[in-house]
Amino acid sequence: MAERRTRDVKPFLGKWALVAVPYLWSLLFFLAPFLIIFKISLSETAIAMPPYTPVIAGVSDLWTKLSDFTFDNYVFLTEDPLYYSAYLSSLRIALVSTVLLLIVGYPIAYGMARAPKSLRNALVMAVILPFWTSFLIRVYAWIGILKPEGLLTIALQGLGILGPNEQVHIYNTEIAVFIGIVYSYLPFMVLPLYAALEKLDATLLEAAADLGCPPTKSFWVITFPLSLPGVIAGCFLCFIPIVGEFVIPDLLGGSETLMIGKTLWAEFFNNRDWPVSSAVAVVLLIILVVPIVIFQNQQKKA
Amino acid sequence: MIEAVGPIKRKFAPWDDPALKPFIRFENVTKRFGDFTAVDNLTLDIYEREFFALLGPSGCGKTTLMRMLAGFEQPTEGRILLDGKDLSGIPPYKRPANMMFQSYALFPHMTVEGNIAFGLKQEGMDATSIATRVAEMLELVKLEKFAKRKPHQLSGGQRQRVALARSLAKRPKVLLLDEPLGALDKKLREETQFELMDIQMELGMTFLIVTHDQEEAMTVSDRIAVMNHGVIAQIGTASEIYEQPASRYVADFVGDINLIDGKVTAVADGVATLRCDGVDATIVAEAGPGGIAVGAEASFAIRPEKVQIAMEPPPAGTPNVLAGEVWDIGYLGDISVYRVRLAGGSIVKATVANLTRIVERPITWEDKVFLTWPVDAGVILVK
Amino acid sequence: MTKMVRQRLLGAAALTVALATGAVAQDKVVNVYNWSDYVDESVLQEFTKETGIKVVYDVFDNQDIVETKMLAGGSGYDVVVVTGPFLARQIAAGVYQPLDKSKLPNLSNMWPEVTSRVAEYDPGNQYGVDYMWGTTGIGYNVEKIKAIMPDAPVNSWDMVFKPEIVSKFKDCGVQFLDASEELIPAALKYLGKNPDSKNAADMEEAGKLLASVKPYVQKFHSSEYINALANGDICLAVGYSGDILQARNRAAEAKNGVTIQYVIPKEGANMWFDIMAIPKDAPNPDAAHAFINFMMKPDVIAKSSNYVAYANGNLASQKFIDPAILSDVSIYPDQETLANLFSTTPYDAKAQRVLTRVWTSVKTGM
Repeated sequence: MAERRTRDVKPFLGKWALVAVPYLWSLLFFLAPFLIIFKISLSETAIAMPPYTPVIAGVSDLWTKLSDFTFDNYVFLTEDPLYYSAYLSSLRIALVSTVLLLIVGYPIAYGMARAPKSLRNALVMAVILPFWTSFLIRVYAWIGILKPEGLLTIALQGLGILGPNEQVHIYNTEIAVFIGIVYSYLPFMVLPLYAALEKLDATLLEAAADLGCPPTKSFWVITFPLSLPGVIAGCFLCFIPIVGEFVIPDLLGGSETLMIGKTLWAEFFNNRDWPVSSAVAVVLLIILVVPIVIFQNQQKKA
Repeated sequence: MIEAVGPIKRKFAPWDDPALKPFIRFENVTKRFGDFTAVDNLTLDIYEREFFALLGPSGCGKTTLMRMLAGFEQPTEGRILLDGKDLSGIPPYKRPANMMFQSYALFPHMTVEGNIAFGLKQEGMDATSIATRVAEMLELVKLEKFAKRKPHQLSGGQRQRVALARSLAKRPKVLLLDEPLGALDKKLREETQFELMDIQMELGMTFLIVTHDQEEAMTVSDRIAVMNHGVIAQIGTASEIYEQPASRYVADFVGDINLIDGKVTAVADGVATLRCDGVDATIVAEAGPGGIAVGAEASFAIRPEKVQIAMEPPPAGTPNVLAGEVWDIGYLGDISVYRVRLAGGSIVKATVANLTRIVERPITWEDKVFLTWPVDAGVILVK
Repeated sequence: MTKMVRQRLLGAAALTVALATGAVAQDKVVNVYNWSDYVDESVLQEFTKETGIKVVYDVFDNQDIVETKMLAGGSGYDVVVVTGPFLARQIAAGVYQPLDKSKLPNLSNMWPEVTSRVAEYDPGNQYGVDYMWGTTGIGYNVEKIKAIMPDAPVNSWDMVFKPEIVSKFKDCGVQFLDASEELIPAALKYLGKNPDSKNAADMEEAGKLLASVKPYVQKFHSSEYINALANGDICLAVGYSGDILQARNRAAEAKNGVTIQYVIPKEGANMWFDIMAIPKDAPNPDAAHAFINFMMKPDVIAKSSNYVAYANGNLASQKFIDPAILSDVSIYPDQETLANLFSTTPYDAKAQRVLTRVWTSVKTGM
């Protein structure tokens, strides 16, 4: 009996270990950092190392210092319209950028998926290739293009579109931010779209044509609906990081480009207010996670 | 319900009526893909209400021919006429032909209803008429209960029916069927073949089917075009193709056949004499088409079921006799196939219908047997 | 803010000067963290040659990043160069260790005028030694300003804080330093208030003044104005003295017809100090002391001053300093100007929040 029992237990444990690995992973790399940030968001600033209080040294500490925690930082976020506006402005910029990305990315992905098979891998490489250069260098390159005396001005002057004393004033505006974001995130939109479009059976379009549907219409009734999983994946992959984007608006945008990433930076570095910046981060996370969860639940139901 | 309309079908032979104009006409059509010639200067007439099959191995050009009719490919040379109208320049979505795809090509994001209604919506038909037509089609293919399902929730056979219903919904002048039953198992395939015939009869449409399955072609179609390397090897009814193959290729491709090579020694009144040194025999049989001259290298072709097998030697004067030994027996239930080894070592097949359950002394392995057939049982074909 | 980005870039550019002179004492290392473009690198090589201690030199261009790193602890640096108010706050947070003055004989070379001002941040000069000091003033393109407004009050904050004047230069380009702790005190001084005021109403009033000229400011940035001035892309900037002088030198080298001038406005300007200090958790405190002592050698620090065009806090070094720099009143101001310079003390958390908020509202209108 005893021998049989051990034989039964082992595979059981093995199976559970296998199931536990992904959970352990998210616990380690998502939940633990989140809890740390959440804990800091309930603290108060102090002139100390680290610059907040209370500092929890161990589990026993947690209970004795529990009463020191406060939700004041969250209340504070509601009191100053700055945060509210920064969140809204970030969401707006992310939304506009995502729509632009979709408009720009879709034809690219479509062209790739329709290209001869022998060319497709090369085209995928071409989309990924810019990743091999530092992201910052590429954003800096846009400064060189967009600044008033930059390449764009020179090119337009050369073409006679602009007079010799006219300049393009895009740099340090929101337009430059959109250009930078669309450029930087394009592969994140194109690749999921391409994956979805490449799977699309070309005979479906033939079938549609055969049944009397002209090509432009069949794009909207067949191709686009069937690429929706790619559209959704691409939009999420772009929208979420764009909301928290910091570098691109900072480099290409003007000082009036208000985004939550910049606000968070100011809280953390200028004000050295780790608790408030943590609260900003937690709220940002909730703003992003809640709609995703709702969306996923609805997908499951559908 | 679908009425049995067999008797009408028997009389149906518009291709023999010189007064009738063909409904579909391929006129000197050539299609090249780069260096490869898929269809080579092909001319073919198909008549209204005909169930026409394009039969051939893969790569013979049959699918290309059909895709040109649907408008997915443009002929490199020649033209295609439908009801007297030149189709060149007309895009697929404006052609009065509908196609049932080999892969079915059902729209995965639409329900069964949605798929069937798709073509009707493109026509701009009003919603009530669409609903009526869809219901009609669902009834026709017996899928009333599955109207709200998505394609991935259906079995292979059900999907095939949806594809059929969808291609029929617009009541096209011509229905193109590209290997429509290829994905079905044998039993379902046979059932569906008969259903297809009934539907074609009932709706009175012209059907063009592409298949590599000769049995399927023979079952469903009025006429068959056997294709090889972009040209038509033979056009005819199933029995013409089977019983009077125009070439060794057709004889070999359609059904089972015994081929015995020899030299023509005499020709008279359409009957030729073939000296076959390989099997040490002289065969007298009908001459095939194309004219046979004395001295020509030719093959004698005979279907296994036309060969009679007996243990007793035939009476003297019987024209065609081959002696041999039973090499192999295949028992298939309804028939038995005997592979008989001749003196020269070559094998001739003979099939015998198993008409009774119990035979006193069945022919068995290593029995000495005699193979005979009447003069009109086989045909002599020039190489 | 952009400085964070730049700092990353510079890190990637690996300005980490690893100097190995022979096989001697390879394991002795000093980790130095200083502003970018703030040292003559040959000085570091000399240090290694003299002491056998290898210098691992890392740079930043943003004080806020440094403070965040120091407050988090475990930075691994032995010597950090910090600006006055930051040093004061970090001392209070317990970041630094007191200097062992017995290891710093060269302290005798220091300039009492500077040392006493530094004591405002570091009472008794217990924790730090001045490295360089400078002012925050106005840099301008001489030709362009002259062309637009021949009688421009170039030696006054009116140039940038008076809307009717600064608006004239909008089209040729105006940039402000993106540093609240520089611009708000300057605005307060211009308004006739205490530049070191921590009063919220005062700071907000300064913010209003800055907001009124904001429409004419192309960008708030911490370093972009250096090149922009040198290239002639902009004609007016509020920035650090050394940076603007660097722009002047670049323009002169490029011979592009651009002449840059730096002025300390007559109303008074912020005088700031960059101070060397040793973190409490420095891995090599002895090497750190040796480095600081070395940097107080008159000829060594003079070399750096000559290179970066900033004044230092070392009186004995002045005889080694290029006469052109020493006599330049925008670098070594005369007594009268010096008396007019003000310094600021650290902001407490509450005042800091007001300061940042005012600054955000200046920049974004929010």
